[in-house]
Amino acid sequence: MRKIWSVALNTYRESVREKLLYLVIIYALALMVSVFILSPLSVGAAKGKIVTDVGLAGISILGILTAIIVGSNLVHKEVDRKAVLMVLTRPVSRAGYLIGKFTGVALSLLVLTGIMTAVLVVMMLVGGAPLTPVVFMAIGLSLIEIGLIISVMVFFSTFTTPLLTSFFTICIFVAGSLSGDLRIFARKFGGKVMNYVMDALYFILPNMKVFNLRHEAVHGLRYSPAEVLLPAAYGIVYTAAMIYFAWLVFRRREFS
Amino acid sequence: MEVLQVDGVRKSFRGDMSLTVREVLHGVSFTAGSGEILGFLGPNGAGKTTTIKIILGLLRPDTGSVRIFGRQSGDRSAMKMTGYLPENPYIYPHLTLTEFLMFCADLSEVPGGEAEARVRHVISLVGLEEHSRRRTKGFSKGMLQRAALAQVMIHDPDLLILDEPFSGLDPIGRKTVRDILLDLKGRGKTIFFSSHILPDMEALCDRACIIKDGAVIRTVGLAEVFRLGEGMVEVAARDCPLSELDPVSSYLDSVAVNGEEVFIVVKRQELVRTVVQHLYNCGAEVLRIANHHPSLEDVFMGEIAGLRPGKKEESGGKHFAGHTSGGGVQ
Repeated sequence: MRKIWSVALNTYRESVREKLLYLVIIYALALMVSVFILSPLSVGAAKGKIVTDVGLAGISILGILTAIIVGSNLVHKEVDRKAVLMVLTRPVSRAGYLIGKFTGVALSLLVLTGIMTAVLVVMMLVGGAPLTPVVFMAIGLSLIEIGLIISVMVFFSTFTTPLLTSFFTICIFVAGSLSGDLRIFARKFGGKVMNYVMDALYFILPNMKVFNLRHEAVHGLRYSPAEVLLPAAYGIVYTAAMIYFAWLVFRRREFS
Repeated sequence: MEVLQVDGVRKSFRGDMSLTVREVLHGVSFTAGSGEILGFLGPNGAGKTTTIKIILGLLRPDTGSVRIFGRQSGDRSAMKMTGYLPENPYIYPHLTLTEFLMFCADLSEVPGGEAEARVRHVISLVGLEEHSRRRTKGFSKGMLQRAALAQVMIHDPDLLILDEPFSGLDPIGRKTVRDILLDLKGRGKTIFFSSHILPDMEALCDRACIIKDGAVIRTVGLAEVFRLGEGMVEVAARDCPLSELDPVSSYLDSVAVNGEEVFIVVKRQELVRTVVQHLYNCGAEVLRIANHHPSLEDVFMGEIAGLRPGKKEESGGKHFAGHTSGGGVQ
């Protein structure tokens, strides 16, 4: 555990010292615009919702973008610059190394999301938006979604370049967000083969829609615990599976 | 017990699109014993780094085996007792030197209570105390090499595998590293290192393993190298046409020309007087007379380029007469 934590802490330090947390400033500015410029322009009940809507969307989008930026280089840079040689020639397992790298980026994103959440809470109080538990549930699911994206990045970064890692991950994110809708379209308008293909994609790709609780949070709708717990469990299992697949690739990898 | 055993290791790499296969190691075998410094010598592309990476489990051999302390390469308990310095090491630029070494200590399972003391110790060994709190981003190449050497020693390993440890070091840095390695040897550590800097290797090694085109062509003890020229004497002369040496050629081991100077290695001390007399008679000017022994460079060049000590060089500017000791004879 100590070795995994060391790799994680090193990865976290690298992200933080490369000014990752400056992204919070962009986020805070976007929220200020929504509170002080957009909210006065809206009417009635929508007034307080804008900040919540923009805030939660911002956390999700910035989180995923950051995961893609940081994660694309995750393993490739270490292999390319041969930093990995000084790690893997110590009594460190390759699985431990990958878990450490994942944990490090996840920790960076956790801290980033934590600060963004604090900014959001302040802005919601300033903007008069109702602060309900579902807001925090939505942020929690966003975090799990970000973790899943990081694990996809870890998987691709074990065998391909940063550019392709980013490209594949974005493709998976987009396809995973649309797979449910595409499946419904295929049912209505597609043939048998298309149905099978869409079914396969639906079950293989991560279903990113299940992590979206923003609508409930913005409008203060009721939600069942299953709407939070099932997606959370799904995200955690999918993330673990991706790291396992990453290890299957990485354990056979040679470093010439 | 042998600390490091490399036995019949073969390795090939696939070319682009996996269409071609090129074997780069053809059955490499050697051993390193406890407390020994074994040099790994070879021209660029001979297979030194590939061999080292196979030893460390970073590459898999096609056939053959590697054992470290009797265990398979890559075995975690063996890795715990091994330190590795890669060629052109990468030190995380976002970390301070102390943070980097603490990271390495954690990975090498140095007990938490000892880690800080170990870090301070290795920093002082490599002479970077003043820079311990600085990020390594601003370090010079020599400082990075010293920092990398510090990480090798952080867990006090019994086997040190160093790929070009003198690369990028100034003369003071080279001496520091030489002293550190000799101190480690004095403490019973086994050191296996590759280098292109032959004088450093000669100053440190007990044995040198020479590799060429992916095959070990000779493993030679340094004591054996020095014995090769025992009793021989080198005479340096000027204004001496090589053809004038024919009458005494049976007394000579080798002759080499470097510019205006001719270096004549006489087989035995008792023949020196005759050879020198002959040179005077030919009108040559005798510049120096000294004891002769071949250097590791002579052996290396002999094996790599086919220039063996003892071979008579009839022409050219190649000085191939080896080292001469300071004291004159006669």
